[in-house]
Amino acid sequence: MGLKEKTFEVLDHTADLGILVNGADLKSLFQNAAHAMLQIMMDFQPEQTGIIRNISVEASDLPDLMVHWLGEILYFFEGEGQWVIETKIHDITSVHLDAQIETIPFSSIMQEHLTEIKAVTYHQIEVLHDNAGAWKARIIFDL
Amino acid sequence: MTLTPKKIDSCRWLIPRDGDMRVPGMVFANEIMMRSIEKDQSLEQVRNVATLPGIVGHSLAMPDIHWGYGFPIGGVAAFDPDEGIVSPGGVGYDINCGCRLMTTRLKADDIQPHIRDMVYALFKGIPAGVGSTGMLRLSKSKQRDVAVRGAAWAVKQGYGTARDLEKTEDRGVLPGADPSVLSERAVRRGLNQLGTLGSGNHFLEIQRVDKIYDREKAIRFNLFEDQITIFIHTGSRGFGHQICDDFLKEMNRKIAAGGQPFSLPDRQLACASLKSGLAKRYLAAMACAANYAWANRQILMHWTREILLKILATTPDALGMSLLYDVCHNIAKTESHTVNGKPVTLCVHRKGATRALPPGHPLLPDVYRSTGQPVLIPGDMGTFSYVLAGAEAAMEQSFGSCCHGAGRALSRSQAIKKAKSRSIHREMEDSGVFVQSRGKKTLKEEMPEAYKDISQVVEVVHQAGLARKVARLKPLGVIKG
Repeated sequence: MGLKEKTFEVLDHTADLGILVNGADLKSLFQNAAHAMLQIMMDFQPEQTGIIRNISVEASDLPDLMVHWLGEILYFFEGEGQWVIETKIHDITSVHLDAQIETIPFSSIMQEHLTEIKAVTYHQIEVLHDNAGAWKARIIFDL
Repeated sequence: MTLTPKKIDSCRWLIPRDGDMRVPGMVFANEIMMRSIEKDQSLEQVRNVATLPGIVGHSLAMPDIHWGYGFPIGGVAAFDPDEGIVSPGGVGYDINCGCRLMTTRLKADDIQPHIRDMVYALFKGIPAGVGSTGMLRLSKSKQRDVAVRGAAWAVKQGYGTARDLEKTEDRGVLPGADPSVLSERAVRRGLNQLGTLGSGNHFLEIQRVDKIYDREKAIRFNLFEDQITIFIHTGSRGFGHQICDDFLKEMNRKIAAGGQPFSLPDRQLACASLKSGLAKRYLAAMACAANYAWANRQILMHWTREILLKILATTPDALGMSLLYDVCHNIAKTESHTVNGKPVTLCVHRKGATRALPPGHPLLPDVYRSTGQPVLIPGDMGTFSYVLAGAEAAMEQSFGSCCHGAGRALSRSQAIKKAKSRSIHREMEDSGVFVQSRGKKTLKEEMPEAYKDISQVVEVVHQAGLARKVARLKPLGVIKG
């Protein structure tokens, strides 16, 4: 998946699961959040080349954009049977992003390695940047 | 904000009205449980729900309360139809997640040698696991029929009999379902997940009736000691998840655009006035998912019967599998209640809480009119599940509701850490429970220590008079996704 360093930590949540994600800029924050979610869902990395797709996501503000973005990746799996193996954000504002994702067909072999995420929630969602300009996000998933 | 609940008696705690709370909070728990509840953010969530417009009575929490998203798990809240709201997060993503219990004529002593074969056969025959798809492939028009007709659709296709509908909450169909309000994504996700168990805490269990508390009610429920029962816990799968997701996003968009005259302490509590078109569309979509879930459990029951008949090489009469009851625990429903001595219609949200109607309630089928509604409370896979009967105090104190399970005590990552280098499968087998699961991590996440003590949870609702204990069920075999 091209993830070189740990860019997120898991938050303990009694019923569900949350993550704290870091990013040097907004693009990397959103990419790291996607990678974090995919790592939580699947504990092995398929070595395959997939299909490249371009997607756009619209929202009302940055936290809403994060929920929509991660929800889009979840939908590819749940609705289309496609597992996302790579993401790249091309362009991002507080209400819109354009991204490229690479997907492979989900197979039954992968099922035993999966943890289900039912949804990306708005509960305590935060997308913030600090004084040094680095970005952080808190996201809680429904498992 | 620090919340200090005030103890009312041995099983009730009041969170006094404060700040922007419109009503007080009420938590059903004993002293020991409250010390544990206070450690997470669930009481704050009870407080947050109390700020929602049109809430009536108390923001309630059952003894299995734990930190959820938006509403606490174990939360119950009722809203006035004119002043109040409906909140998709107050129902949850797994709309009409619920339980179904079947009794049989089998005795545990007779089938003990066959438990492994039964579990293997059910594990092979019942689709389960993350993203699992079923043996059914619905056309869009058939899916619309499922969404409108619920369990009756399944019965018409030959999955069970019309008698099953009598023993299903709301006869397995919520009125007002309108598939025309569904998104294309929701429709797509519903096409191939009917007849699937799912993953996480969903399960199918073979159990033995371990203890009878109330002989008279047990006879009415067709329960006897050492009897084999089958318990199914699942919901509306990806179809329900997508519907919740779609409407939460729409309600959040409306709030961001300044379209709501109130502020929210948590965006997951996004909601719409019950009088609005948006609320009506959500309720019409939610009913579609609720009906899908009832059809799902009806189909899984039928397949379970067929698998057991084959593996045990027995006859339908000898197996004698019949539905005891089916209840949902994630729902918002329009119900009749009495508040301050006056009859009122309210929209009752149950987020991880079970309806518990008392004896004599007009919505009960004849067979349970004298006993009260059967209330099914699954525990963790290593200890017990319980059958209770709804009681009068539920109507007086909790809008006819009680708990829905044990409630988690450990987060999933804490559970995995605790289970490191252990074989939960072996430990379960040593304690007399044979388990098969699809996911590698599922057993660790779902190990018995991850849950609260179900016996204490049930004791609180029994003592509070919300529901009375009838029987205790011990797992013998479990299949999980």
